[in-house]
Amino acid sequence: MPFKNRKSDVEVELEWLINELKPSSDILHKPLRLDDKQAELVYIKSVVDGAQLQQIVIKPFFELASEQHVEAYLKSLPNQQEFTSKEQVLLELTKGSVVVKLKDELLLFEIKKVNTDTVRETNIEPTIMGPQYALSEDLATNLNLIRQRYHKPSLTVETMEIGKKSNQSLAIIYDEEYVLDGVLEQIKSQLESLDEPVVQTSTQIQRFINNQKRSLIPIMMMTERTDRVVYNLAGGKVVLLLDGSPTTIIAPAIFWDFMTSMEDNYGMYWVTKFSKFLRYLGLFVSLILPGLYVAATSFNPEVFRVELALSIAGSRIGVPYPSFIEVLFMLIFMELLTEASIRLPKAVTGTATTVGGLILGTAATEAALASNIIIIIVGAVAISTFVIPINEMSFAIRFMRYLLLLAATLAGLAGLTLGLIGLLMYVANRDSFGEPYFKIFFKKKQAETRVKPS
Amino acid sequence: MSRYFYYLVFVNMLANVVASVPKILLAKKSEGAIVSMILAIFIGLALCYIVARFFNAFPGQGLPELMGKYMPGWFGKLLLLFIAGAWSVAGLITLVTYSFLLKRFLTPDMPLVFITSILLFFISYGILMKTSSVLYTVEFVLLCCLPVIVLIMIKSYTTPELEWDFIREAMMHTYELPSFSALSASTYLFLGGFNLIIFNRFFTKKHKITIKQILLIGLLGGGVLFTTYFIPIGMNGFEGIEKIAYPWIFTSDTLRLDLGVIERILFVFLILYLAISFLSILIHWHVVLELTKSVITTKRFKFKDINLTPYIIVGVIWLGSIQITKYLTEYQLSLFSSYFFNLLLCSLFGLISLFWFILRRAKS
Repeated sequence: MPFKNRKSDVEVELEWLINELKPSSDILHKPLRLDDKQAELVYIKSVVDGAQLQQIVIKPFFELASEQHVEAYLKSLPNQQEFTSKEQVLLELTKGSVVVKLKDELLLFEIKKVNTDTVRETNIEPTIMGPQYALSEDLATNLNLIRQRYHKPSLTVETMEIGKKSNQSLAIIYDEEYVLDGVLEQIKSQLESLDEPVVQTSTQIQRFINNQKRSLIPIMMMTERTDRVVYNLAGGKVVLLLDGSPTTIIAPAIFWDFMTSMEDNYGMYWVTKFSKFLRYLGLFVSLILPGLYVAATSFNPEVFRVELALSIAGSRIGVPYPSFIEVLFMLIFMELLTEASIRLPKAVTGTATTVGGLILGTAATEAALASNIIIIIVGAVAISTFVIPINEMSFAIRFMRYLLLLAATLAGLAGLTLGLIGLLMYVANRDSFGEPYFKIFFKKKQAETRVKPS
Repeated sequence: MSRYFYYLVFVNMLANVVASVPKILLAKKSEGAIVSMILAIFIGLALCYIVARFFNAFPGQGLPELMGKYMPGWFGKLLLLFIAGAWSVAGLITLVTYSFLLKRFLTPDMPLVFITSILLFFISYGILMKTSSVLYTVEFVLLCCLPVIVLIMIKSYTTPELEWDFIREAMMHTYELPSFSALSASTYLFLGGFNLIIFNRFFTKKHKITIKQILLIGLLGGGVLFTTYFIPIGMNGFEGIEKIAYPWIFTSDTLRLDLGVIERILFVFLILYLAISFLSILIHWHVVLELTKSVITTKRFKFKDINLTPYIIVGVIWLGSIQITKYLTEYQLSLFSSYFFNLLLCSLFGLISLFWFILRRAKS
């Protein structure tokens, strides 16, 4: 035949693939040959599970009688992947797939090696009751964890790739039956128009698809708890899961979601109501206490009863500067302490908090750089900030505190009140994917998370 | 009716308890204030019912949309501007009143212009928000205020300082001919429902209006009127009560929380009314902003694709209110408020006939 010497299409493609990957040292191109059976393997050694490859591709190749048998066997493997384009194959190779050339055909198999699939204990949102394990850093394992807790045929998992350079897989999980179509579409279109080279954690996504260049409060909820994921899936929310990230993000999320701990569903009615009350009290206290102190000492000492006003004034004797500097000074040191104990290695944290909290606090009052009462206030503020269950919200509250302090410094008690209303308006004016962010719900949960009309 | 409708009505009722309305009423204490109040309840309820019924017929549409459909353009625009003017005066009265109050009782060291500016700063952010966000804010703040209102109510009705004899004395002046300014001032308490001219955009569903709901508003309004008129009399006596500049501040300062962290109820009261006056201004001026936005549709005020019209309106509001705050005295304020209430009540009948006209056109 005239074209005998010309390479077939398949060979050209295989060569192209090898050339594209060539300079790396961990690419392997291995021909297999026995009698009249022939095959070629192309893969990247460092992302493919060698033992599995041996077990499910190489060994059967030598054991099966003829090339037909091998072909039939390989094509019936469940981890065979679709072969759409050269570029797609190239991308899959980088993720841990193996290309097998058999006869005049290229077959693609997923034989990934994943070292990040250990399920970790809950770390960010620990609870006493409820599941103690969180997620892993591998997408397939995480999907498994979620599916194992939510057995419903309408649970849908869609995957896409984000990050122009890193091509990380992202799973969009929702319950087809309850999800709000508008929300889902908005999330998808925003994810598709995302133009970022590298996306590393799911929380990063929440910053990118926020609609606002500069935002203060989170409109998507980050969580590592599978029970929270399932709870929200059942409520019709969309869960985004990025490969390589041990946290999911849930959208839409409104203010009250951030104040809910999963234990609120597990405990006794009054017990959980009480802990909820404590949480809101903590939120309120950590927001207004610093501002209130400034307002009460510098603007309106007459507001509180005389004994209290006197004891505050008494404890400030000898403090050489106005109250707002005193508050700011102690608050900033408290924030530094918090920051430091997050960043420090675990072994040193204890020392830092002891030195910072105990020694600094006592010494500051003894040196009359701060009043006793402000130490109590800063302590109360620090503790009550951590009562808020979701980290991102408590960080946002941390920042809001300073705005209120500013308002109180400028206009006393009136400024504090107006500042609170101002913050409230800011929060009420946000929405999370079309859902009002700060709205009071009077109806029962079932009525609010309406079932989609079919 | 949607619960948000009650908030609109209720905020207006509460916000005017503190300053001009009780003053006007107490000034007419022996010239028919009580009969005017009773009349006002009926007139106010009727107005409330009419406005709720009218806007219920056009769910999701505010007055500007209806005007655009059923009225000639220039006439509609002129009328909308007129209404916007009336509403901005309503907001302004509350703003100036509260600035004076703050200056006198809470932050006497601060210059008046600074106090007004602080209020205006937060209000400007508020009125630029979406209509729905305004309502959510109103709802939340009102809910927070509710326990405090209840506390003050309980305190003021149970305190031994409240002399029922004074109240009985005031009751003796029931059989007198009503006075128009007392009537218009007490009717003003019921006019919160008229904010529907813009807020109806939020009410996209048809609601049922039952007699019970109207009665509930009547009950609330009656209670508020009774409290606002008789409690100061009961505390301070019938003689000379009209000479007090802020009857309710005096009244609340007679109350004490013996075991509270805050001993004088006055301060609780001031903070509460700061919040409620804020809501009232917010609602009124949001209406003004939206009305003016619907009138000024020119695309000339633009900067990098941002429509500057609302910001220009806010700027005008700033300038106007600061100038007026500087210019007015407390006496003038209550005098002008009284004129405004009188004028408003008259022009409301014009507004009602406008509703009737639109309804007829819509039907044909």
